[in-house]
Amino acid sequence: MISRRELLKFAAVGTIALTLVPGTLGEALAAPKDMSLEEALKEHLGATLSDLKESDLIHIKAPTIAESGANVPVQISANVPVDQVEALYIFADANFNPWVTTVEFSPLNGEVFFATRIKLAKTSKVRAVLKMKDGTLLAAAKEVKVTVGGCG
Amino acid sequence: MARIGRAIVRVPKRISKGQVFKIQMVITHPMETGRRKDKKTGQPIPAHYIDLVEFFFNDQKITTLRTGPAISKNPYFAVKMKATESGTLIIRYKDNKGGKWEKSVKVSVS
Repeated sequence: MISRRELLKFAAVGTIALTLVPGTLGEALAAPKDMSLEEALKEHLGATLSDLKESDLIHIKAPTIAESGANVPVQISANVPVDQVEALYIFADANFNPWVTTVEFSPLNGEVFFATRIKLAKTSKVRAVLKMKDGTLLAAAKEVKVTVGGCG
Repeated sequence: MARIGRAIVRVPKRISKGQVFKIQMVITHPMETGRRKDKKTGQPIPAHYIDLVEFFFNDQKITTLRTGPAISKNPYFAVKMKATESGTLIIRYKDNKGGKWEKSVKVSVS
């Protein structure tokens, strides 16, 4: 049984906690800033759009029209030896933060391959950028049409 | 979502030496972006997403995935690996709220 005294104590602590929380939480939850593709490229690759070298060695498998932006299957493979590749970056141009994921490979992978499901805010290009060990940035893009966006 | 962090990992049953095979996994996770609001209360839902997935085979690192909230809810990942010997595949993953999990799968190469 909870005594009346204890109950009051709980209630008091609860009220204090509730009044304190909004201030700190509010700051932590401040909406993430929107980012442009250029900003995202700079943050993750230290490069600009013109540094990317269009390459037909990279294959992006993604639907041309996605029913829902919340769940778009994307598969990326590349015809380059995996031991020359440092990492694969995926960007979605029109997302609030265009960076989607970074995949760091090792020679044990055997092949450059990665598949996942991503969210797209609206119709935009999905970009794959391969960072090679010599510093070259190979890129490919595919436009995906989205009828319903997936970023709340 | 009581089962946050549960994962299913799938590898082929029969793998021959030298073969490049696919590792597929699905993790149960909400992947909240931090931008959505609770429809009833109007309060923002805090960001909660997987941010790191690491694949190890016999203690050697194969792949590192750095992920963000743009990965769909209940994330699916597939990577490939070259079979050299039998062993254990260990996948370690964590989220931005301190959740940490591990899943291991036996790989038999003949």
